[in-house]
Amino acid sequence: MPDRYDVAIVGGGHNGLVAATYLARAGRRVVVLESRAVLGGVAATEEIAPGFRAPVAATVCGLLRPEVVRDLNLPGYGYELLPFDPLVTSVGEDGRALRLWRDPAATKAEIAKFSAADADAFGAFSRFLLDIARVLDPLLVRTPPRILDMGRGEQLFYLRLAMRMRKLGKAEMAQGIRFPQMSLRAALGERFESELLKATLSVDALLGHWAGPWSPGTAFGLLRGFFPMVHGGSWGFVKGGMASLTDALVAAAKASGVALRTDAPVARILIADGRASGVQLASGEQVPATIVASNADPKRTFLGLVEPAELDLEFRQRIEHMRMTGGLAKVNLALRSLPPLRSNGGPAPRIRYGPTLEYLERAYDDAKYGRASKDPYVDATVPSLVDPGLAPSGQHVMSVGVQFAPHTLRAGSWDTEREKLGDRVVDILDGLMPGLEKAIVARQILTPADLEAKFGLTGGHPYHGEMSLDRQFLLRPVPGWGRYRTPIVGLYLCGSGAHPGGGITGGPGYNAAREILKDLPRLAAA
Amino acid sequence: MANGTYDAIIIGGGHNGLVCAAYMARAGRKVLVLERRKVLGGAAVTEEVHPGFKFTELSYVCSLMRPEIIRELDLPAHGFQVIPQDASFTPLPDGEYLYYRGDRQEAIDAVSKFSKTDAENLAPFSQLMTRMAKFVAPMLMMTPPDLHSMAPSNLMRLRELGNHFMTLDEAEVHTFFELMTMSSSDYLDRWFESEPLKAGLSSSGIIGTLLGPRSPGTAYVLIHHYMGEIDGSYRSWGFVRGGTGAVSYSIARAAEHFGAEIRASSEVRQVLVHDGRAIGVELASGEKLYARVIVSNADPKRTFLKLVEPSELPADFLQAIKNYNIIGSSGKVNLALEELPTFKALPKTGTHLTGVITIGPDTDYIERAYDDAKYGDFSRRPYIDMCLPTTLDPTMAPAGKHVMSMFVQYAPYNLRKGTWPERREDFGDTVIDTIEEYIPDIREIIAYRQVITPWDIENEFGLTGGNIFHGELTPDQLFFLRPAAGWAQYRTPVKALYICGSGAHPGGGIMGAPGANAAREILKDMRLRKV
Repeated sequence: MPDRYDVAIVGGGHNGLVAATYLARAGRRVVVLESRAVLGGVAATEEIAPGFRAPVAATVCGLLRPEVVRDLNLPGYGYELLPFDPLVTSVGEDGRALRLWRDPAATKAEIAKFSAADADAFGAFSRFLLDIARVLDPLLVRTPPRILDMGRGEQLFYLRLAMRMRKLGKAEMAQGIRFPQMSLRAALGERFESELLKATLSVDALLGHWAGPWSPGTAFGLLRGFFPMVHGGSWGFVKGGMASLTDALVAAAKASGVALRTDAPVARILIADGRASGVQLASGEQVPATIVASNADPKRTFLGLVEPAELDLEFRQRIEHMRMTGGLAKVNLALRSLPPLRSNGGPAPRIRYGPTLEYLERAYDDAKYGRASKDPYVDATVPSLVDPGLAPSGQHVMSVGVQFAPHTLRAGSWDTEREKLGDRVVDILDGLMPGLEKAIVARQILTPADLEAKFGLTGGHPYHGEMSLDRQFLLRPVPGWGRYRTPIVGLYLCGSGAHPGGGITGGPGYNAAREILKDLPRLAAA
Repeated sequence: MANGTYDAIIIGGGHNGLVCAAYMARAGRKVLVLERRKVLGGAAVTEEVHPGFKFTELSYVCSLMRPEIIRELDLPAHGFQVIPQDASFTPLPDGEYLYYRGDRQEAIDAVSKFSKTDAENLAPFSQLMTRMAKFVAPMLMMTPPDLHSMAPSNLMRLRELGNHFMTLDEAEVHTFFELMTMSSSDYLDRWFESEPLKAGLSSSGIIGTLLGPRSPGTAYVLIHHYMGEIDGSYRSWGFVRGGTGAVSYSIARAAEHFGAEIRASSEVRQVLVHDGRAIGVELASGEKLYARVIVSNADPKRTFLKLVEPSELPADFLQAIKNYNIIGSSGKVNLALEELPTFKALPKTGTHLTGVITIGPDTDYIERAYDDAKYGDFSRRPYIDMCLPTTLDPTMAPAGKHVMSMFVQYAPYNLRKGTWPERREDFGDTVIDTIEEYIPDIREIIAYRQVITPWDIENEFGLTGGNIFHGELTPDQLFFLRPAAGWAQYRTPVKALYICGSGAHPGGGIMGAPGANAAREILKDMRLRKV
């Protein structure tokens, strides 16, 4: 162990591992300090019953940056994405299921069962979103600019981006500007008539977000579904479970010389003369470093690990006011069998129940007033259908996302309400797949408070803070600090609280590493 | 003059149409305004609905009227007189209240009873909002650029806009983006903690919208309400002597002074189009009138879906107008009162009755009122913006008696159960039930009650969907997107047909800006012989 690292990374979530590996490949001495016994943050797998390995938090993967996959040679370390089909099986109030497939023709035929007009419109809709995603994609791996102080190169980049938008044609360009600001209800209502189709698409855009389909700005979330396709990829399950992605990242990190320490919770970031000088672990051990990069969320970083006196009041208040209230809970099930859907049709690796926009909005209404949704919506994935090794032969693991289960209840507490939530979810699923309840071998419930306790996510928020339009790009985490640097010289953010935000993308880590490498020579010399 | 050709025929005598007429007449053009109703003003209207009592029926305060317009049309000479009012009174169900006048020490003292830090933050908040309002204000009188067009005039507009943004420092640019994207509730949470204050402030973010204080994008409208200028001081709302109808009539008189002709009780049934060009109008009476340009003060849906043959409009434009969000969310209940009302929270008579009275004690209350509307019903306990114009302008009622104006949200245009005519009185009763919690004897002093629902706003006053702003004021249909992308410069796909109302930039409120901007663009096209 050197007497001083170049970079100490607080938190071994996937972004921290990505940043560490890029830094080490550039010849820097890097240490990652993870408080848990395992690395990977929410890209985690747990054996919830003997032989049943369930995803704990994140379940699907599709947004992982191709640059990261390629540069770090993740496939070489065992990372493999298993596509699944249908992409989603969404059950309506009448029990009929709508399936969206990878094949556009099959999807069109499915939608036609609900609305012929929608079937026709869906193709144009998908093409439109893919076009916009394609134009915006380069922004995901770019550091947000200083808007009033752009260099020539930067100006040229944005001019070219504007031209590419313009090339989409007058109508599409106008829609591209208008669309993200609209509510899901309005944006989808303009194009589609089937409630079930609109609700199905909305759940994708709302999972992990504190909003409902009536909320303006939620249409923006539809774009994320299309980013995987920009580079020819798609949504899938990580072979071997989400932790396999972590294993691959860990292997790549180790191979590059990154020092990885688990059971090493960081208690504070050491600051001397307004400058980061390393970290201190809970054990008291000090780890000196020229640069500290935090993979923790902005609240934990600035309000938990930095002395208040080191930050000016306005910055602290802005961080305090970041919206980071989690509303997504997880219910993970070990199943001795997987009953078929009452709606018939083949196996469904992803099952959804949130049949109408009003259903989704009412679930959100409850959350607004600090209540668990009386009628929550659920999004269940069954990775074992595609990756049998995750469970004993013929048996399955199911990981369910449920909204809303607000982090803090106004009345009562999750200690008493947790099991009720689990029961409610099982009840809904049993209605979709009769016999499921009896097939449950084990059940794990993680409310946002549990996710916070387990993974260190403030508020249990899966994305380190809301991903709304006002917290994107140069406004993330707070305006003025959207370029990975923080008010403390030598302290950086490298996690989902920085651009491009949450989801398993590796984008924040990738971008932060680049910026750290730019600053390191100057900071190391000082 | 009766059958001669005019330079311009303006459909609708709302305040914007009258402003447009005045500017065009002032430039020497022969202008005719045609108003369907027998009174002018559109939604800026005063009518003696009950003998002796003048109701400022729809709109009730004025402060967004552009000072340039007031000055250039010399409105004070034609009777325009604003009585500044700065009292703000929020009674609470528990008998407490928040009351202050203006933004200064009195406000700080009143607010500090609820929260000391809130009191400390009032001034800096006000200053920031005023700074943002000062930034946005000049944009109200700009013609929005077209984002796609490479035409020189358009590129100039883009440059003008870019230069305008450069007047902000980086922190201000960030604030602007945040205000455009955040909810008023989230934005206010950063500054304040006490609910009566937050609810009062956030209510200005949701007026006229079908959105709640927690809906993203409502923070923008907070600026709107700081843009008022009366004698140079921002954030001063005012009553207009004679009600908002007097605003319209002062503009009408100014227009006539410049030579414009105004006809009431003259409904236009259709715009006459020949070879793709608007050439005149046909009245409901069958009379046809011709002009070089036709200007519509009606909202975009009425203009393009009712007054113009669909075959004259491109399909994508028609679709954009069909998609234009113009669902109304408010109603109005106006009362003729035998005497001044007595509030349980502050029973004496006083200046607290002379300004804005807010029934909306906390953010959840307003959000719940919004929730009801989402699912197709009027709020069981609505948010009410109340005022008593007679406390400042006694001419609106017989001596000793009063008029109460109540702007009510939410009353969604689309009801799930029943129709508005069927439920009008129900709605009125709900409003009275609500205020009875604050004014226990209100029912005893009501001499007359007028209930105006979104249906009435549409059918009586001509506003499609009963939407008071000619369309939602959300970023997806503001500025270069209002009323449709590529058509935000007051021109329409029909040659010689223009729009001049709130369905064009900068949108609704009694601003006069759409009318003035439209006049400027029309006069330019005429000068350049483009039309």
